[in-house]
Amino acid sequence: MTVLPPAWRVGRVTPLGELHTPPRMTAALLRLAVQIVLVASLWHGLYAAAGTTAGLDRDQAVSYAVLAVLASRLREIDQYAARDTVIQHMHFGTIVYWYLRPMPPQRYYALRALGEQLYGLAWSLAGYLVCLAAGVVQPPASAAVAGVFALSMLFGQWVLYYVMLVIDQLCFWTLRNGAALLILIFAQNLLSGVYAPLWFFPDWFITLSSFLPFQATLSVPLSLYVGRIPLSDAAFQLSVQAGWIVVLALFTRFLWRRAARRVISQGG
Amino acid sequence: MTGSIEVRGLSRTFHTTVRRPGFAGALRSLVNPERVAKHAVSDVTFDVAQGELLALLGPNGAGKSTTIKMLTGILTPTSGTARVAGVVPYEERERNARNIGAVFGQRTQLWWDLPVRESFAILRDIYEVPKAEHAARLKEFDELLELSSFWDTRVRHLSLGQRVRCDLAAALLHDPPVVFLDEPTIGMDVVVKEQVREFLRHQVAERGRTVLLTTHDMTEVERLAERVVLINHGRLVLDGALDEIRRRFGSTWQLRATLADPHTEVAGLPGVVVVRREGRQVVFGPEGPGAEALSVHQALKLVIERYELAGIAIDEADLEDVMRAAYAQAEAAL
Repeated sequence: MTVLPPAWRVGRVTPLGELHTPPRMTAALLRLAVQIVLVASLWHGLYAAAGTTAGLDRDQAVSYAVLAVLASRLREIDQYAARDTVIQHMHFGTIVYWYLRPMPPQRYYALRALGEQLYGLAWSLAGYLVCLAAGVVQPPASAAVAGVFALSMLFGQWVLYYVMLVIDQLCFWTLRNGAALLILIFAQNLLSGVYAPLWFFPDWFITLSSFLPFQATLSVPLSLYVGRIPLSDAAFQLSVQAGWIVVLALFTRFLWRRAARRVISQGG
Repeated sequence: MTGSIEVRGLSRTFHTTVRRPGFAGALRSLVNPERVAKHAVSDVTFDVAQGELLALLGPNGAGKSTTIKMLTGILTPTSGTARVAGVVPYEERERNARNIGAVFGQRTQLWWDLPVRESFAILRDIYEVPKAEHAARLKEFDELLELSSFWDTRVRHLSLGQRVRCDLAAALLHDPPVVFLDEPTIGMDVVVKEQVREFLRHQVAERGRTVLLTTHDMTEVERLAERVVLINHGRLVLDGALDEIRRRFGSTWQLRATLADPHTEVAGLPGVVVVRREGRQVVFGPEGPGAEALSVHQALKLVIERYELAGIAIDEADLEDVMRAAYAQAEAAL
């Protein structure tokens, strides 16, 4: 039997930190509840005088929008307050400790992110079950759709992890990633379909965004869930997501190697 | 495995862009950047024996931290070699990490949002320390550093002194034979400083750890180190026992004598000069600099034998003066 090395427990840092900070959990709960109510109300309002738009009926659109809000919770932990962002470690010079432990920085980062995403998943799942029970979100059309959605969501979060990692790695060169982060958050929300399903945008925009990794993070799994992408297209969409994972994995691996040479000059 | 450190001809050069002054200069730097080489450490050679505490001293920007970063494996030298506990740190970073502990001034490696004990547990897992061993070591550190009164507090709520004590414990939890301390007591009050010094003395004397310490606090050097290495402008300028350095650079004593008779004529004595005189008060000092100068005790004997005095006081140079003299001589030699 394979036993995980004890270092996997690095993944507990985020959940532990959150549990020790109840006000942050209360704020997260309130924000999530308010966002879901507002988003559901908005899409109900938009569909009041319409039947099917952009290939989505009202229930599909509301489900998509609410699931997008729930999914955004997966990587929305307040790391800044916990002084555990790469930019803060660079600023305070504590990034050196990442290179002084018998664990490569990339593994430490990955375990931290994994713990964070699992913690976020617990929130999202709880929110999903409440929304499902309240009839805000429609259940998946079939077990096959549910399975493909789960796999696509996993791939989507994997892509998102690498996108966030690239932004964090930028700090090794720029010391500041605020502007890049703002652009990323806007691009991620717009191009992944958090603000509105991509199906509402013009064709040229959808074509353009297909060359970027963002729609692989959320738009693809959510479109599979609501049935806007049929199961027959799932294999192609999953392979595109897998392709992004491979490309970004190689790119971030290259950046980690280059970043190791920058630790001193920036984080000294 | 021995905990010795061997440094041979270690050098590190950084390449930086020159920032020209003014708006036009900044524009020129942007369009046509000029790169210059900065030799942060040049040809530094020294050894630290197992169980020895060595103070690595030098002014700000002298190259101390760069040297430590090469020895911890964070930075690769431009030339030269280093071995720490038998490992080349920049070639085998992870293996080296198991042999060393490090504290960098006020920079904490603890997790800000977690109670200290949780941070210790995470480090235990990262270093794969058995639980019983971890508990025993924590108990030992608690006895020396009184950690248990605050180790259930979140790191963000600790005082500086409490946090540095926790960081020291965190750096030693995996029982490393070599410890690097880069200004560990900076900004701490005297009581906590003394507690930390006692802890370090214990780690060296009882546990046989090798410690490389950088500090600007000469009291710390006096209390902890028997040997110092002085670097300036990236070059090693002095490597010797503290007593020897005192002998070479510490003869900056002054004798403040009060004459019994204010009309006494005062002149210099062999090896002793009159620095100044104000009425009955006469200040004597050494005639020659450094090692050739008379010791304060020899001078005292001469002055007492020659003059009738109502009182006399000795001002001996403290270690700060000694180091200032050593820096000045090193500066002149460059």
